[in-house]
Amino acid sequence: MSRVARRDRAAFAALYHATSAKMFGTALRILRRRDLAEDIVQEVYAKIWERAGDFDAAKASPITWMAAIVRNRALDVVRRKAPMQLEDLPEGFEPAAQVSDPLAGRDRSEGLRKLLACLDKLDPQKRQMVLLAYYHGASRDALAQRYDAPVPTIKTWLHRSLAQLRGCLSS
Amino acid sequence: MSEHEDIEALAGEYVLGTLEAAERSAVTARREREPQLAAAIEAWERRLAPLVEAAEAVEPPGGLYARIEAEIAAQAGLAGAGGSAAGAETADLARRLRRWRAAAFAGGALAAGLVLVILAQNLLRRPEPANFIAVLQKDAASPAFLIEVDLRSRILTVRPVAAEPRAGKSYELWIINAKLGAPRSLGVIANQGFTIRPALKDYDSSIVQSATFAVTLEPEGGSPTGAPTSAPLWTGRLVQATP
Repeated sequence: MSRVARRDRAAFAALYHATSAKMFGTALRILRRRDLAEDIVQEVYAKIWERAGDFDAAKASPITWMAAIVRNRALDVVRRKAPMQLEDLPEGFEPAAQVSDPLAGRDRSEGLRKLLACLDKLDPQKRQMVLLAYYHGASRDALAQRYDAPVPTIKTWLHRSLAQLRGCLSS
Repeated sequence: MSEHEDIEALAGEYVLGTLEAAERSAVTARREREPQLAAAIEAWERRLAPLVEAAEAVEPPGGLYARIEAEIAAQAGLAGAGGSAAGAETADLARRLRRWRAAAFAGGALAAGLVLVILAQNLLRRPEPANFIAVLQKDAASPAFLIEVDLRSRILTVRPVAAEPRAGKSYELWIINAKLGAPRSLGVIANQGFTIRPALKDYDSSIVQSATFAVTLEPEGGSPTGAPTSAPLWTGRLVQATP
């Protein structure tokens, strides 16, 4: 990233090739439209080229920083569109398939191992809510429809799940 | 709930993505001036980021890196041409527009609400020929969007000139040609800067050259139906920009 900040085009190309599939997948899961996801990824990499100097290695890894920019832009776009409908959420979505299977037998980072262990301590429905929100941009309304619960209840569940996760991760 | 817990819950939901549009924008504004909230958001980004590692990667289309390079080159080109002052870029575009319009009048190319112009100078300072441009407008005095098409790469570049962003709405570009039947969407146009995409790669060059390009005002994110939901606000056709 520091080489990108110094306008090193080869470093930028390498960064793009190493990270763009993760970023495109991240945007696509939230936006569910390839054209919108392409636009976001294009915009974010152009911004990264301009703003690589703002990256602070003390605060986050490059992938964390980039993923946050992609997710924020994608969520801004999706929240301003028509509210997501129940049927828009992936059918048969299973957090176990989403999170565990692709990684079975592969090395997981220490951070991911710990996060998955903490997610496992949430009850299954709440864990699924957290994952639907993080991966697919599910709003409180969409979650309320899916779990047939009032929006304030969803909000309370999310806050409790987040507090529990934070406690678990800091232990 | 204590103030600390409030901030944690808000930051957590912001990063998780469950806040509604109004709450999201409020938090986006607040994090700029509330270091405690900004720190809580960054901490949540770090906590949840390993999930990105766990997620499926999806290969973007092969041409996307070229589009990013083109956008970067366009930004650099304009910064070099117009200086860094915010107004300079607009002034530079306005100056070029006047020149194009003068050329168009001289050539008698003014027709029914659209001006076809000949670009003496490459808008993006790229040297390749086979560039076509169009100015989309209601009348000769109100250019709204500039379009440039490179027929060889089929890359379309469009940028607003005088079109004002509208809250909760998006401008969407369409290609209209009798041979295509209904108008076909070329995607939503970003409110500022360049929108660059290979949106024309599936169209025959004769269709592109004889098509009318039109912009409509659609719900945010583009027409939900795939067809225009409003009458065209601005239209224009391509003319060759370089010999």
